Amino acid sequence: MAVRNRMRRKETAFFYAFISPWLIGFILLSIGPIIASFFISFTSWNIFQPPTWVGLKNYTTLFQTPLFYTSLDNTLIYALVTTPLGILIGLAVAVLLNQKIVFRNFFRVAFILPSTLPVVAVTMLWSWLLAPAGLFNEVLQLFGIKGPAWFVDPAWMKPGLILFTLWTAGGGFVLFLAGLQGVPDYLYEAAELDGADAFTKFRHITMPMLSPIVLFNLVTGIIGSMQTFTQVYILGSSNSLLMMVVYLFQNAFQNFSMGFASAIAWVLFVIIMLFSLLVFRWSSMWVYYEGEIKR
Amino acid sequence: MKTAQTTSATDHAKHRQLNGWRVFWKVVLYIVLIVSVVSMVLPFLWMITTSLSDNRYAMTFPPKFFPSSLHFDNYVKIFTNDNLGLYLRNSLIITIPAIIGQLVTSSMAAYAFARLRAPGRKILFLIMLSTLMIPGEVTMIPTFIMFHSLHWINTFWPLIVPNFFGNAFNIFMLRQFYMSIPLELDEAAKIDGLGFFGIWTRIILPLSKPVLITIAIFTFNANWSNFMGPLIYINDPKLYPLALGVFSMTNTGSMFTPPQWNLIMAGNMLLTLPMLLVWYIGQRHVYESTNVFGRN
Repeated sequence: MAVRNRMRRKETAFFYAFISPWLIGFILLSIGPIIASFFISFTSWNIFQPPTWVGLKNYTTLFQTPLFYTSLDNTLIYALVTTPLGILIGLAVAVLLNQKIVFRNFFRVAFILPSTLPVVAVTMLWSWLLAPAGLFNEVLQLFGIKGPAWFVDPAWMKPGLILFTLWTAGGGFVLFLAGLQGVPDYLYEAAELDGADAFTKFRHITMPMLSPIVLFNLVTGIIGSMQTFTQVYILGSSNSLLMMVVYLFQNAFQNFSMGFASAIAWVLFVIIMLFSLLVFRWSSMWVYYEGEIKR
Repeated sequence: MKTAQTTSATDHAKHRQLNGWRVFWKVVLYIVLIVSVVSMVLPFLWMITTSLSDNRYAMTFPPKFFPSSLHFDNYVKIFTNDNLGLYLRNSLIITIPAIIGQLVTSSMAAYAFARLRAPGRKILFLIMLSTLMIPGEVTMIPTFIMFHSLHWINTFWPLIVPNFFGNAFNIFMLRQFYMSIPLELDEAAKIDGLGFFGIWTRIILPLSKPVLITIAIFTFNANWSNFMGPLIYINDPKLYPLALGVFSMTNTGSMFTPPQWNLIMAGNMLLTLPMLLVWYIGQRHVYESTNVFGRN
């Protein structure tokens, strides 16, 4: 009994020793900063002088600042356009690659290439491609279309950003292709016996079987695109592309308004949580899990 | 006999018709594939050709896809005229320790969560998973203030040290993999006199090579392409990592001096190629080990 107790204690000691790096990091880099951030959002603080408590003032100011609504609009438009379109592109590429084709490996690599490039490189490449006299407009010219000024014209900045975001979305096929190959053949065979055509099979077998992957991409896509920073920062200072994280960055690290910036962070956090919750709620209407117990 | 023959004849016609449709769809399929592959690859090729062209040439209108002369010296210029050699060194100083830190600390925590029994294990595991949902923006400002008060601004520490505290995503992936290693191996090792530490280093780690390689790749990519982190913590151009350094080439200091796009694209290539290389070498392991999310 004593031996067993000693073994138990030793195992517990080892457990805590092994998780200690994560645990210390959790306290210093996760939960500590979260609590601190919450309190900082109720202060006015430039980090060079002691903070002063201002209550809800940061939040009320934020909700009266037109620039905040600009950043909110841009963030939501960007997330709600690129995420669904990106999923469609990934799915379409997966369906293409799932056909019997020659050089499949070449096509695979080609479609995955844009998504493996660093965001900084992609953004600089496309700001060069979409220059008013750049290659992209030149290609449009071949079809008799006069291309816009893209990142010079405020009205065309968002379409430009969306365009090259979608260029990197093809890589999303990897999960979908694995999903397509995981659909058991007997389902299709059974449907064929019932006289189903290709579209019906896709609509009633393939789509339900892939729906968990769609949900995963939808949630991670919306969360990720709402946190877009690098692309917008590199493309320039114009407010017509301003997004929430960029607005936060400007306030925190250029104006040193730590309290105000923390309030932006919390508003962003709440918006992300709300959207994730909404998507999950809505998903119960269309996601099909094979192993699910129906109530 | 006669009826059998007629049915086979109609079957034949039907078959030919089907073949016609099949050929039509094949043609459509390949047209769609080729058009989309060209649009995927062309921008990348444009990066390569621009990086090899003369700057005056790069600025001509209309742009020409193939430069008339190849300037491989652009790849020398980025090291002599611009500081890309220094930026490359800085990136390596940050990235290599970051990979080591993540591998060691994440696999330690994962081993504990997968194999060691202790009070509080379940709740700590749930807490760890819930940290996956916290967006970095919420912790960014207090973390900056903490590093600022440690006088770590304009040093590499804020970019390296956080990697020595594990990462919830990595821990989760490794833990899922460890759970699939048979417990009998641990039991046998125990009988042979190995302790908990010995089981981790001698049994678990050697068996989890694909997942460890995957984590090394993810950590490399995240740190190599990190832009916001260096932007926040590093103001001294001598300390820029590559991602920030290449971006700084677009700032010529004057509105009237256009950036040298050929050199910028050469810098872009230098930033991109290591990631492509690492991905290409390691992709097999990535696919193999991301399968663990499907099991439990």
